[in-house]
Amino acid sequence: MQSYALESPDLSQVQSAMAVVEQACNSIQMHMNPAEAEATILAFRQSSRPYQTCRYILENSHLANARFQAAATIQDAAVREWGFLPDEEKQSLISFCLSFVMEHAHASEAYVQTKLSAVGALLMKRGWLESTAAEKDAFFIQVRQSVVGAHGRHAQFVGINFLESLVSEFSPSTATGMGLPVEFHEKCRASLETKHLKDFYCWAQDAVLSVANEIGYCDSTGPEVKVCAAAMRLMSQILNWEFKKTITADVGGVKNRRDASFSGFGHEAALFKKSELVLVQPGPAWRDVLLSHGRIGWVLELYRTIGQKSSSDRSWIDSPLAVSARQLIVQFCSLTGTIFPSDDGQMQEQHMLLLLAGIIQWIDPPDTILNAITYGKSESEMLDGCRGLLAMASLTTPSLFDRLLKSLRPFGTLSLLSLLTCEVMKAHAANKDEEETWASEAINILLDTWNVLLQPTDLSKSAHSAVGVHEAFALFSTILEFELKVAGESAYDDGDSSEQFQAFISARDERLSSYALIARAAADKSIPLLTRLFSEKVSLLCQGSGRADPIRTLEELYWLLLISGHVLADSGDGETALVPEALQAQFQDVTDPAQHPVVLLSGSIINFAEQSLHPDTRAAFFSSRLMEALIWFLARWADTYLLPIDTGRGHNCTPSQEGERLNEPHQARKALLCFFGEKNQGKSLLDTIVRIASTTLISWPGEKILQELTCFQLLPALVCRKNICIHLVTLESWRELANAFANERILFSLATPLQRSLAKVLSRSACGMSNSEASNQYVRDLMGPMTGFIADITKKDDIKSVAQQPDAIFMVSCLLERLRGAARATEPRTQKGMFEMGVAIMNPLLTLLEIYKNQSAVVYLLLKFVVDWVDGQVVFLEAKDTAVLFRFCVQLLEIYSSNNIGRISLSLSSSLLNEAKTEKYKDLRALLQLLTNLCSKDLVDFSPDLGNGAEKPDVAQVVYLGLHIITPLISLELLKYPKLCRQYFSLLSHMLEVYPEKVAKLTPEAFSHIIGTLDFALHNQDVEVVNMSLSSINALATFHYKERSSGKEGLGLHAVDYNDPSGTRQEGILGRLLELLLHLLLFEDYSTELVAAAADALLPLIVCDPGLYQRLGHELLERQENSVFKARLATALQSLTSSNQLTWSLDRINRQRFRKNLHYFLVDVRGFLRTM
Amino acid sequence: MSDEEHHFEPRADAGASKTYPQQAGTIRKNGYIVIKNRPCKVVEVSTSKTGKHGHAKCHFVGIDIFNGKKLEDIVPSSHNCDVPHVNRTDYQLIDISEDGFASLLTENGNTKDDLRLPTDESLHTQIRDGFGEGKDLVVTVMSAMGEEQICALKDIGPK
Repeated sequence: MQSYALESPDLSQVQSAMAVVEQACNSIQMHMNPAEAEATILAFRQSSRPYQTCRYILENSHLANARFQAAATIQDAAVREWGFLPDEEKQSLISFCLSFVMEHAHASEAYVQTKLSAVGALLMKRGWLESTAAEKDAFFIQVRQSVVGAHGRHAQFVGINFLESLVSEFSPSTATGMGLPVEFHEKCRASLETKHLKDFYCWAQDAVLSVANEIGYCDSTGPEVKVCAAAMRLMSQILNWEFKKTITADVGGVKNRRDASFSGFGHEAALFKKSELVLVQPGPAWRDVLLSHGRIGWVLELYRTIGQKSSSDRSWIDSPLAVSARQLIVQFCSLTGTIFPSDDGQMQEQHMLLLLAGIIQWIDPPDTILNAITYGKSESEMLDGCRGLLAMASLTTPSLFDRLLKSLRPFGTLSLLSLLTCEVMKAHAANKDEEETWASEAINILLDTWNVLLQPTDLSKSAHSAVGVHEAFALFSTILEFELKVAGESAYDDGDSSEQFQAFISARDERLSSYALIARAAADKSIPLLTRLFSEKVSLLCQGSGRADPIRTLEELYWLLLISGHVLADSGDGETALVPEALQAQFQDVTDPAQHPVVLLSGSIINFAEQSLHPDTRAAFFSSRLMEALIWFLARWADTYLLPIDTGRGHNCTPSQEGERLNEPHQARKALLCFFGEKNQGKSLLDTIVRIASTTLISWPGEKILQELTCFQLLPALVCRKNICIHLVTLESWRELANAFANERILFSLATPLQRSLAKVLSRSACGMSNSEASNQYVRDLMGPMTGFIADITKKDDIKSVAQQPDAIFMVSCLLERLRGAARATEPRTQKGMFEMGVAIMNPLLTLLEIYKNQSAVVYLLLKFVVDWVDGQVVFLEAKDTAVLFRFCVQLLEIYSSNNIGRISLSLSSSLLNEAKTEKYKDLRALLQLLTNLCSKDLVDFSPDLGNGAEKPDVAQVVYLGLHIITPLISLELLKYPKLCRQYFSLLSHMLEVYPEKVAKLTPEAFSHIIGTLDFALHNQDVEVVNMSLSSINALATFHYKERSSGKEGLGLHAVDYNDPSGTRQEGILGRLLELLLHLLLFEDYSTELVAAAADALLPLIVCDPGLYQRLGHELLERQENSVFKARLATALQSLTSSNQLTWSLDRINRQRFRKNLHYFLVDVRGFLRTM
Repeated sequence: MSDEEHHFEPRADAGASKTYPQQAGTIRKNGYIVIKNRPCKVVEVSTSKTGKHGHAKCHFVGIDIFNGKKLEDIVPSSHNCDVPHVNRTDYQLIDISEDGFASLLTENGNTKDDLRLPTDESLHTQIRDGFGEGKDLVVTVMSAMGEEQICALKDIGPK
């Protein structure tokens, strides 16, 4: 290799290069001209074959930073140039990295060593598939020597460190990107897992054992400790490996799983919300390493020994050695899967028992342990104990979990868990002032443990089992006691700050739902307890009326309402909420539905809420915050219990259970479900709830949170089911609300988004009317006054001046929001009424758009109404109506455009300017949304085909016209808003893919604007955007090619070269795109995910103009000076278009071939093309 | 709708009223509000309570629409706030006098010559340069509470 000779430059050159790098490193550290220094280092990293210099720097520089940069440079350069490095150089680079770290194991700057060891691991992986098994084995024998301690402790540490880097490099989630396909990483991963991982684990274990004895005799800071801790870290890293699921095809394996779930192990799909727990599931191959005799016991033994040896020093618990030992133990606790033989889970039970015996000392007895922690002992041991419990709980059924401890203690594991949780609760309540305490972390882990134990995972079985009822109730009473105490004490704190309000709420809800699971496990005791506490607090409130300060009681009631809501019902979140199975299954001896504990609790809360209707009691007791909790409760409760859809049948019943349900339990279930049904209390409760809701909107002026709960949660919960709507529209209270909304002023005092929601809810209830006629009439009555008002004011002569007054603006904004709310509730049944509503105000809206052109807030509301209205209507409209709609949209776009094009805001304040920009951005998003909605007419069309030959309006024509109107408003500046950018390009790529033939008819300016934005998109940060622009290019070029092949014009003039006015020759757009794309692919940074899409775009561009492609390739070759690379490049270009039997066509197989070719091509040539 | 709602029918002193009362809870971001007797654009609204079981109050952050200064206010959300009457009118720019006054063409053909160009250097140049290049400029004049200022300009093609 001639070029290799270039590699040994003389000493002075190397020295001067080192001086340059050192100086740059220095100036970065001193913050002197960092930009220039960074550029120097970047250039060094990208230089060609810098290996000699790097080695020299590593060996001679006194500057650790410079050595670090040299190591990083080796990595960058070698990955880039790997494809054409000679084999011996590859080998020598790897062995250099390793021998260097071995020799310099004592060096003080550990980060340089770590980096170099990582570089070695990376290069090892890069060459992994090229080297033979024998080479690897020879290499690993050397590594093993040092890991087991043959070369002294330092070398041992370095060896372990190297294996750590290697494992993390081979694990896909932590691997470094190398510009290679995912396939490569996957192959490496599989190969390491099957051939080496177990060996590494054994070596690490040997290393621990070899030093474990010595640790006893010496100080805890020696190299032995370092080695031991590192080796255990490596072991736990290996256990964290994402083991490939061993798919056992044989019947035995399948049986094994089923047996496991019968014997008590099995629900692995449990959710871990707060504490991250990873299950360790290596396959059966690991059985001998992990499970055979004494393989686990030694860690426990080791940990015990460390503890005894350093009992004088309290801080040992947090020493690296103790931490990694405990981590390993917790990982052993989460060991599961096919590693255990199919023996009815006996071996796994044994295994857990062994571990439990070890970790029980960390958590039992709870009070003593927590006391010690309160007085300064480190909490990490106790926390790890909790994690161990969580791991075991997630792998066992409650009954097995409980049984585990019984052989060691006189009580079961659940008792211990309950006791521990209670104690932690107490400790938490005692020092709740501190922000993030160990107690709250422990609570999180323990609640997760309860969650996985109690969460009904298997819906076919009854979730309720007798195990743990007693423990759960004991825990729940403690929770109630302490949470009420905490709530009472916090009653005088300041109101919730709005910052992080959402985060706070969701964290609180998560905790409350954990509590609720515990309460439900012992529902027959906990629900009566809640009822008793609630009544107590209510009577306390009433007795103290006028005398005592009620705030403490109010806050306690607030908390009780929240927990009751969580216990009684699950959050629907858009799904149909069902009565929790645990509540249906218990209370089997209840015969009188009115005495059902669930009914009693619900009843007492609703009765209390009803008292808010009386002005006097309202003023005396019902603070807005208490009302918020009541409204929230009612929304959640109504969603689950009120007028259930089908009370005749229980849910999720399988045939086998049908018989069982005919018996007594069935009665209790049915009683509960029917009690709030339509034949019973349902309708009167509905009326009460509507009246309470209406009152909150009027009697708590300005209480936004309360009103939001009413408008966004309670009322929508009532109208989401048709069977409720049927009753709703017959209620006097509902009619009053609708009338107040349509004809009175009082509800204008609500914030405008609330009015929108109210309009939506009221319109939605129209589906409860008996037929479509009545529904449409309902909408007309409801919205008629609004449309009439808008039409009236636009007809006034002095509208121009009146409209600008603040009260007029406020009124128009309210009406637009209401119309928008109604439009969003469009359903097939009310579509006609809604269409009339929109048509009635089409012209007035255009007038308003003109009048309010300077009031951006109003313009935005107007656009949003049109967007939502079109969205609801477009799929239903007949040709005639569609034409009306399209004409209106185009007029709207034109007016908006003429008012805004070329407009510049002037303001002293940069924040006001930003606001103006944001407003523009939001307008444009709305307009794009409008066009997208119009597009959908072509995809989905429910309009009756009248067959009378009426010409259907051309959707594409309209949308292109719209795009033509608004693209000039979308500046490149505005495209920097990611959402707008995505929306624009998804619309554009859709249009180009579906209607390329229309593009050809665009004017040159419009066309070049579109191409300009495509160019912008190609260089976007967002992969999705680049993808969309690539598929647009693909669509354009494919269209052109196909049209040309069939003898048509294709893109016509747009595609041919032309002379611009100044006489210079301009290429046609496809040529320009080809050039752009090639440049992007060869010289710029992009994600490898994009290569496939880029290939799809590149192929049609090449076949459209092979001549240009040849020329560009030729230019590329000319520029390459190095003759070796030139030859390589020529071959690569050749095979890009010829290998794999590639032909000049655009069928699917050919495209796939080209994708492959492009991938190889890029891996082959990007390395040297990008070198400086 | 009943007649009483047409209460913003032009009054005898239409236009003379500089502000209008509106409930604090209904004022939204991007709306206008008077803080410390200055017309402001609302850029931030948050609500909080006086103690957990107290009444809601709104915290407004506004930016003075004329001088760009940031102002803040806290109002119980059921109380009324003053909302300024912010008017914007478009005029064609005819001339810029030596001493920095703009000459504007009103809709009924008269000229309006009492408006000084912004004193800020960059805004001033933006207008002057645009005018100097011979573009046909329309300026938007924002007025509220007795003050006036040019707030936007728009190029409607070459002269």
